[in-house]
Amino acid sequence: MKPCIALTKGRLEKQFLEFFQSLDYDITSLVDKGRKLRVETEEFQFVFAKGVDVTTYVEHGIADLGIVGEDILAEFQPDVFNLLPLPFGKCRMALAAETGINWPERKRIIASKYPGITKEYFRKKGESVDIVKLEGSVELAPILGLADGIVDIVETGTTLRENGLVIKDEFHHYSARCIANRSSLKIKKELLSPVVEAMQKGVSVQ
Amino acid sequence: MFLPAGSQDEVGQQINKRFRAFEVFTEITERRNYQPISTPVVEYAQTFTNGYTGMALQPMLKWFNHEGEIEVLRPDWTTAVARALVKQSHSEHKWCYQGSVFRSDKPGMESRQAGIEIVYAPSFLGESESLLTAADYLQALEVEDYLIELGHSEIFELLAAPLKLDSVQAERLRQAMHDKRKDEVFQLANHAGSRTIAEQLTELVDAYGSVEILEVYEKHWKNNQHLLEIVEHLKSLVKLLNDCGIKGILVDLGRVKNLPYYCGTMFRGYLRENGSTCFSGGRYDKLYEQFGERHSAVGLAFDVDILADQIKPAQKREKICLCAEPESHAFAEQIRTDFPDKIVDIRYDLPEKESKNYDRIWEITRKGNGWKAVER
Repeated sequence: MKPCIALTKGRLEKQFLEFFQSLDYDITSLVDKGRKLRVETEEFQFVFAKGVDVTTYVEHGIADLGIVGEDILAEFQPDVFNLLPLPFGKCRMALAAETGINWPERKRIIASKYPGITKEYFRKKGESVDIVKLEGSVELAPILGLADGIVDIVETGTTLRENGLVIKDEFHHYSARCIANRSSLKIKKELLSPVVEAMQKGVSVQ
Repeated sequence: MFLPAGSQDEVGQQINKRFRAFEVFTEITERRNYQPISTPVVEYAQTFTNGYTGMALQPMLKWFNHEGEIEVLRPDWTTAVARALVKQSHSEHKWCYQGSVFRSDKPGMESRQAGIEIVYAPSFLGESESLLTAADYLQALEVEDYLIELGHSEIFELLAAPLKLDSVQAERLRQAMHDKRKDEVFQLANHAGSRTIAEQLTELVDAYGSVEILEVYEKHWKNNQHLLEIVEHLKSLVKLLNDCGIKGILVDLGRVKNLPYYCGTMFRGYLRENGSTCFSGGRYDKLYEQFGERHSAVGLAFDVDILADQIKPAQKREKICLCAEPESHAFAEQIRTDFPDKIVDIRYDLPEKESKNYDRIWEITRKGNGWKAVER
């Protein structure tokens, strides 16, 4: 039986395939997959899903390994082995607010796609805040008056700047990671170890 | 009316298979001289959350009683049994239980377990008996394709002991080991002052797989008496299991405990087919220290829901319908005893479309002043 790897669709997928190719794996059928969500190569089965769903597939043992952003792992804390960082998908988690605006005296309202990470961050600072959960375009929240600030991932900072926001604090640095199902890694060690070790070597080289 | 997420009604085979799993457990544990014990489904939260047991309160199903104390639905059997056993005769060593545990982080919140606890027994005997009871039970259920994993909580603890870590960092290191997150294990241990220990722990993360790993680490730790004793102990367990015909054994020397009361050998059973954990347990002598007792304690719990799924459906029995009426019901009941191995149903009315549910149909008709049965 071939190992099943769940990949996060989109930017991480492209970056992973480049990385995987650099490890001498053939990715031809993965590049030309069209809209297929499941592709079988000579050595692996791949499934393509949203980041949080990748963790679900791995946690439930549908996929043996998964490639997912560390932000997703920090927010949802799936019960999986969190094996190694990968040399792409680098970003940081930041608190941002409108340029030139002072924080209000009252309890702050923070908008985020990551309520768990936001709560933990403010708890560590010893501050109570109200968190508004948003699904995307979080930068809009302070501009439209929904929140005093946002907690979100930042790669280059361009989106923040173009929307008149400025970083107040950076508190986590993330990358893509390789995760594994807790049983599969042990039961299928002979199948999974070669690819995990190849990725580990690839990370060390880069 | 709807059901909450994860809850489900059950009918037919699903229930029969679970009852069968419990029945077989009773047969096996009786034969191996375990005494049954049961604890109430409602307990004080403190029983499970105190410093010795260390379970998180959050996923427990809880409420305040009229005196303001937090009560919970039993989240764990081992702790509850330990509380109960302190009052029992110390001459009994082997106990078994079966019933539900409740946690809000599990689908449906209720899961069924059956388990064993062995106290006051010599360490090796207790661990061997636990593992062999597991093998005996799985064999009786005709679950053959499984793997037993052995680990030991003290390996990580001994290697990490010299590190200067506060409680938050120590928990982060334990969690990183649990997640096999080598980069964080290395970083935390290295930051705590020892590159050598950081490298040893990182290596330990990968010390899982077939039992040959024990040979490798026996040589590796030849100058560390305590670690060597642990490896020898695990090797003795493997030999015993092998001698009893059990070959599917894994080891994970980097396993860490999830609850503070584990203090030695840990075991887990995996179904090879789908990777499900069908049993888990280990040594937890420290659990009894809260009651001022110092003695050995070891046990394991089976996930009955997972094992019930593995039970093959019972062989189909012939189904007979006796068509009677109120006056002939007593006669039909007598006839029923003529078919002790069959499923026998008595009906007053049998619509045509339901007759196909039976293999044979008998009509109870008048014969003089009595009754007779005639096959349709």
